[in-house]
Amino acid sequence: MNAIPADGPFTAPERRQVTLGMLPLNDVAPLVVALEEGFFAEQGLEVTLVVESSWASLRDGLQLGLLDAAQMLALMPLASTLGLDGRPTPVLSALTLNLGGNAITVSPELHARLLDVAPHGLDVPLEQARALARVVAARQRAGEAPLRFANVYPFSSHRYLLRYWLAAGGIDPDRDLDLRVVPPPQMVSQLEAGRLDGYCVGEPWNRLAVSRGSGVVLCDSFAIWGASPEKVLGVREAWADRYPATHRALLRALLAACAWLDDTPAHRERAARRLCMGGYLDVSPLVVEEGLRLPTQTASSSGMTLFHRHAANFPWRSQTRWYAAQMQRWGHLDASLDLEAALARCVRPDLYRQAADELELSCPLSDVKPGGEGAHAGPWTLPGSRGDIAMAADRFIDGEVFTA
Amino acid sequence: MTIRILIVDAKAERSRELDRALAEAGFEVVTIVDEQDDLYATMARTQPDAVIVDAALPGRDTLEHLGQLGKRYPKPMIMLAEEETPELTQQAARAGVSAYVVDSVMPALVRSMVNVAIASFESHRALKGELSRTQETLTQRRTIDRAKSLIMETRGIGEEAAYQYLRKTAMNRRMTLHELARELLAATGRQSS
Repeated sequence: MNAIPADGPFTAPERRQVTLGMLPLNDVAPLVVALEEGFFAEQGLEVTLVVESSWASLRDGLQLGLLDAAQMLALMPLASTLGLDGRPTPVLSALTLNLGGNAITVSPELHARLLDVAPHGLDVPLEQARALARVVAARQRAGEAPLRFANVYPFSSHRYLLRYWLAAGGIDPDRDLDLRVVPPPQMVSQLEAGRLDGYCVGEPWNRLAVSRGSGVVLCDSFAIWGASPEKVLGVREAWADRYPATHRALLRALLAACAWLDDTPAHRERAARRLCMGGYLDVSPLVVEEGLRLPTQTASSSGMTLFHRHAANFPWRSQTRWYAAQMQRWGHLDASLDLEAALARCVRPDLYRQAADELELSCPLSDVKPGGEGAHAGPWTLPGSRGDIAMAADRFIDGEVFTA
Repeated sequence: MTIRILIVDAKAERSRELDRALAEAGFEVVTIVDEQDDLYATMARTQPDAVIVDAALPGRDTLEHLGQLGKRYPKPMIMLAEEETPELTQQAARAGVSAYVVDSVMPALVRSMVNVAIASFESHRALKGELSRTQETLTQRRTIDRAKSLIMETRGIGEEAAYQYLRKTAMNRRMTLHELARELLAATGRQSS
């Protein structure tokens, strides 16, 4: 990855100073690495990172123009553009920052009950969800209150991955459970206080529960969707139009940082250290390091994340369309909204290709995943603009293939 | 009609002051809670017309979810009437005030309520010399840096070894680097920020 030319004959950014919003999470590593390892500086940018406390305040900051760009949940640009999240504001993304990284954690009490009703064990994610369905049914027969599960934001991958997993097991998330939004830093304490029975969240908040003995991780987002996009770089459309070279410089810097993160295990450790030492993440360094380990060949159930490999940074339109389809499935998206027009506006593979091409990276040729999302059960090869790209499995937990 | 307001704030003194200021302006504060309270239960019980929340609290995202659940729950102020200029929302964001309001509250009343909250938060911050979230992060970082230097000095070791020492100690004591750094500096009588 050191082959990426740092100083190319690129158009100089219209403005040097850029303010980026972020949340204290492991997968903000690309932004922190780009700042602390000098990738922003190499592109002629002076970046200020603003640590926000909630997705809502990050959204307000971007919509009000207090932030130029931000780490966002994959669905936030679409929700902002459609006017569902905050002030109606066209927001676009030309870069996915990472794939995966979330996991579903339950309390030890619930885990014990799941084991009781899982004759084949709890190793298979689909069996976990089916066991939960049995526990839910038993609780309903006994007249007990619904189990409480949390995710992190209405327009989050966590919400729709959790719902997909539940439904795959035969659970109606709206009728059978009490679903809530709880801020990540409070997840573990609420689980410990008995106010939650489980949650879907990113790292370090699953590992933290495990390290304290207060939670058991069932499965991670890759087990629910092998190619789930997690965070993206969001900018106001008007900002991208006004400062195209600055936007492209941001994309180049973050692409280089993402490539660096997936280069060696030592880089991941260094990134964990940057997060803790830099004051970005107030969690024990070991917990952060563990959650940031490079995924290995062996299956894992711990919220592993990819920052660059397998065309991770490419903003596949089919990925955002899948999330939109999930919103429609659960009645969270009004049928009268022009979804296709909004998708074309806020998912911008064309801008990705410009930036990646300047770094001489091979880009996918199509805007949608060939064969459909979920069509690949193992490693596969994708022809790209500068040679083949090694791809990974992208299966859904129930084997569905999404071609819409 | 009287607007019923819920205050979500972890700082008791500031909430009491805001409660008084809102009452003087003709609003009714139904209750004041910490975000560690169960916001779902509180909102269902008190059914406020508006919520004023410290913008630095992560619990805002819970209020966003409630706002999505239906008409009777307050929506984020940034979503309100198009004719509302963004300046007030910007001012509020800078002052660390977030507001959630049900559709039926008149814009003039919203402005008045938010202005009272902004003034109250600003005067409190000026009095207490409080830090914004970003400043807190920088302070954390300085504290950790100082502790690292202290370890390098007292043990005569390099930066990498000092980091490994901090990391291991934090792990053994189940602390974050920032907590450990503060303790180390306090134990040696040094300022932590």
